[in-house]
Amino acid sequence: MPIGNVHPSVRPAQAGRTDGAAGSAPHRGVGRPRRARGLRSERLAPYILVAPAILIIVVMRLYPLLLGVNFSFTGDGDRNGMAVGLDNYLELFRAPLFRTALGNVGLLVLLLPVAVAIPGLLATFIYLRVPGHRVYRGVYFFPAVLSPVIVGGIFNLLLAFDGPLNAALGSVGIGAVDWLGDPDIAMFMVVGVHVWATFGMSLVVFLAGFATLDSALLDAARVDGASLPKVIWHVIIPGLSRTIQFVFVTTMIGMLTSMFGLLYVMTSGGPEGSTYLPEYYIWIQQGQMNRPALASAASTVLFVIMIVVGLLQIKLLKRAAREA
Amino acid sequence: MSRIRLSRWLVAIPMALLALATVYPLLFTANVAMKTRRDYILDRFSLTDALRWENISTAWNSVGMGRYFVNSLLVVTSSVVLLLLFGSMAGFALSQLRFRGSTALFLGCLAGLFVPFQVIMVPLARIMADGGLIDTYPGLILVYVAQFLPFTVFLMTSYYKTIPPEIIDAARIDGNSVYGVYRRIMLPLGTPALLSVGILNALFCWNDVLMALVMMPSADHRTLMVGVTSLRGQYSDDIPTFASGVLIAAVPVLVVYLFLQRQIADGVAAGSTKG
Repeated sequence: MPIGNVHPSVRPAQAGRTDGAAGSAPHRGVGRPRRARGLRSERLAPYILVAPAILIIVVMRLYPLLLGVNFSFTGDGDRNGMAVGLDNYLELFRAPLFRTALGNVGLLVLLLPVAVAIPGLLATFIYLRVPGHRVYRGVYFFPAVLSPVIVGGIFNLLLAFDGPLNAALGSVGIGAVDWLGDPDIAMFMVVGVHVWATFGMSLVVFLAGFATLDSALLDAARVDGASLPKVIWHVIIPGLSRTIQFVFVTTMIGMLTSMFGLLYVMTSGGPEGSTYLPEYYIWIQQGQMNRPALASAASTVLFVIMIVVGLLQIKLLKRAAREA
Repeated sequence: MSRIRLSRWLVAIPMALLALATVYPLLFTANVAMKTRRDYILDRFSLTDALRWENISTAWNSVGMGRYFVNSLLVVTSSVVLLLLFGSMAGFALSQLRFRGSTALFLGCLAGLFVPFQVIMVPLARIMADGGLIDTYPGLILVYVAQFLPFTVFLMTSYYKTIPPEIIDAARIDGNSVYGVYRRIMLPLGTPALLSVGILNALFCWNDVLMALVMMPSADHRTLMVGVTSLRGQYSDDIPTFASGVLIAAVPVLVVYLFLQRQIADGVAAGSTKG
């Protein structure tokens, strides 16, 4: 029998369609039970291969999302499980710590262009082969592999009031600054450390984008004597618009979802709650305050923020790319 | 031309300083870990006069860093093995096999990419508690697998798409079942991608602190990163021991990075360009 026709429903996707579905009918008609069982298991094979992944993702990612939204409309403590409408959300937006957290998200959005421009500029210089460009990629990327806990621990040490940074400043006559203890400074320090730890990640993404850039354009611009800012503005930014968009979105998501370790180690949300972010607030309410429903409401708000910010950025950047 | 050369050197200097700023904090920490407490209080910057390992062994033994290290190793290894297994199975089916609903299933996997742990922390903790999986190793392993599976499936699918279907056709004609093709053809051919994705996943799991904190509340189940955070409170006045704990947690990652730098950076780059 023509073996190529035995497994009609699971043939390779890109294979020719000449052995089409019609081929399966006669074989099924042969009716040898063992063969038929083999056929069925072959037909089920793709589903069996996908099953573990899809089951885990649905049960442990997608379903909890719905459950959490649902949960945010119920009460905590005495009112456990009872429908409370929007009470959690009302409480949330009145809570000073959550408002600080939202304010800090606004700060992150404002700082985002800087966090994208730094790795973008550095990648440009590396691409243009500054002296030593071979070494920089590896060195700059290095902090990105360290856990936020390790990074936070190291900077805890460096930025301590009686720590080395203040000692160094003191030796040149500058008074000590309480880097992590001053509510006006602490958040900037944490964000700065986060950027220090992650800019290498974006740098590598930018460099991968540069690899797809048409180098003839760049050479032409250089022959014409275009200055570096002009080359960046007229050649590199339009050419890398997709990469820039990707870095904007991933950097923002990174700021919203991967600073927990730093906050936990460096400031624990303090001083005076000034370094709260939504993710830290969620953790405190769920783990420490035993307010899971309130935490779920905060989770839902964080999810909405992420979606809005992500979509907005893509829209803005697309428009900017069209106008450029 | 010389003008360009000059401007190149002008950016080269800040770039070199930045490179120094990326490595100095860790070197400083390593130096502190070798000092005595007295030395550190007297002068924070001076190089240690001897390689002292006492602080390291204090951190390793008295605070249970050794135990946490083993916990982390166990959880991370199991998670990565499962991620690669499930990821390559799904990636093979979604890229090379045609079946009803494959697009929907692929989109379902991708949807997982947009659900961060913070957003589902409360309901997921509840699901795990209902399943009796909270504070257990299988529980944390499952949470890690669920966290990084969408990304793994995505990368494996795009990698397997580059394999010519003729290879699979040929293997089928030789009488291999679908599973046979997976085991004898796709797994060996997928090695470069599996290696790259595996290292990235290992780093992600090793470095995590939030999931471990939520899922592993009891002290002797702590992973290494949670252990480091508990060091801070205990040794706030003994900086060299604290620095030693940080160093213990950082060294495995450093070693991996020194040897596999290219694969790690390539994995990150692949994740971005294939999107």
